[in-house]
Amino acid sequence: MYRRARRAQHKRARRGARGPVATTIGIAGELLLTMGILVLLYVVYVLWGTGVQTDRAQDELREQMVDRWSDPVATEEEPVAAGEAPVDPAETEIGDGYALLRIPALGDDWEWVVVQGVELSDLARGPGHYEDTADPGELGNFSVAAHRAGHGAPFADLDRVGIGDAVEVETAAGTWTYTIDEPARVIAPTDTWVVDPVPGQGAGAEPTERRITLTTCHPRYGSSQRLYVSGVLTDGEEI
Amino acid sequence: MYAWVWRHLPGPWPVRMLIALVLTAVIVVVLMLWGFPWFEDTFGLNDVTVG
Repeated sequence: MYRRARRAQHKRARRGARGPVATTIGIAGELLLTMGILVLLYVVYVLWGTGVQTDRAQDELREQMVDRWSDPVATEEEPVAAGEAPVDPAETEIGDGYALLRIPALGDDWEWVVVQGVELSDLARGPGHYEDTADPGELGNFSVAAHRAGHGAPFADLDRVGIGDAVEVETAAGTWTYTIDEPARVIAPTDTWVVDPVPGQGAGAEPTERRITLTTCHPRYGSSQRLYVSGVLTDGEEI
Repeated sequence: MYAWVWRHLPGPWPVRMLIALVLTAVIVVVLMLWGFPWFEDTFGLNDVTVG
C-alpha cells in the first residue's frame, strides 16, 4: 500500500509538478538545443551535402556534353550531318554543359565541366560561364565563376593559382590555353569591371586581347568579398 | 516539447523509438533537399559572382 502510494506520488512529481518558470526554461532549452542541431546540420549540408549534388550533376553533364560533342544534333536552320561540324559553345543553353576546364596547378586530375550561366542554380552544378562574356578563344574576356566552399568547391584553392600557371579550356570547337598574368586579388562584390571585355574599361570597350577571368568568393567560407585571377590566351586557335 | 511528442507517440517504447527515428530522418531529408538549398539561395551566403 505504502509503496504504491509513494510511486504514484513520484509519478505525479515527475510529470506535472514543474512550475511555470521551470517549464518555460525547459522549453527554451529544448529550442536552443534544436537550433544548435539545425546549425550543425546546415554545416554538414554545405560541406558535404552540396558536394554530393554537384558530383552527381557533373557526371550527368559530362555524359551529355561528350555525347553532344561527338554527335551534334542537326537543327532545322543548320542541318549538319552527325559528327561533321562541332557544336558552337555559344549556342549552349543556360545550365547545360559548356566546356571542360583544367588547371594543372590545382592538381593533375582537376577537371570540371563548366556550365553556361552563373545563377546559383547553375553554379550548384559546377563552375559557370558568365553568359554575356566572350567564348574561349574569342576576343574579349572569357569569364568563369565557381564556388570556393561547398558544391564541390571547384575554386577552393584559386588563391594558389599564380602568374605563369596554365588554364586549359576545351570545347567541341577546340582547346585553348590561357596563362595567368595577374596574381589573385581580393575585390568587392560590386567590382563588375573584372569581367568587362577589357577589364576596367566598361561594357562597351572594344577588346584587343583574348583574356580569361576566374572569380570566386572571399574569404573562403564567406561571401563578403570576391577573389579573382586573370590571364591571357597563349595557345589555341584565335576566333 | 520533445517529452510531449514522446508521450503522444503510440505503442510501447521500441515502437515509439522507431517512429521517432523515422520522423527525425524525414525532417533531416526535407531540410537537406529543400530547406537548406532554399535558405542558401535566399540569403546569398555563398555568392561567387561579381555584379
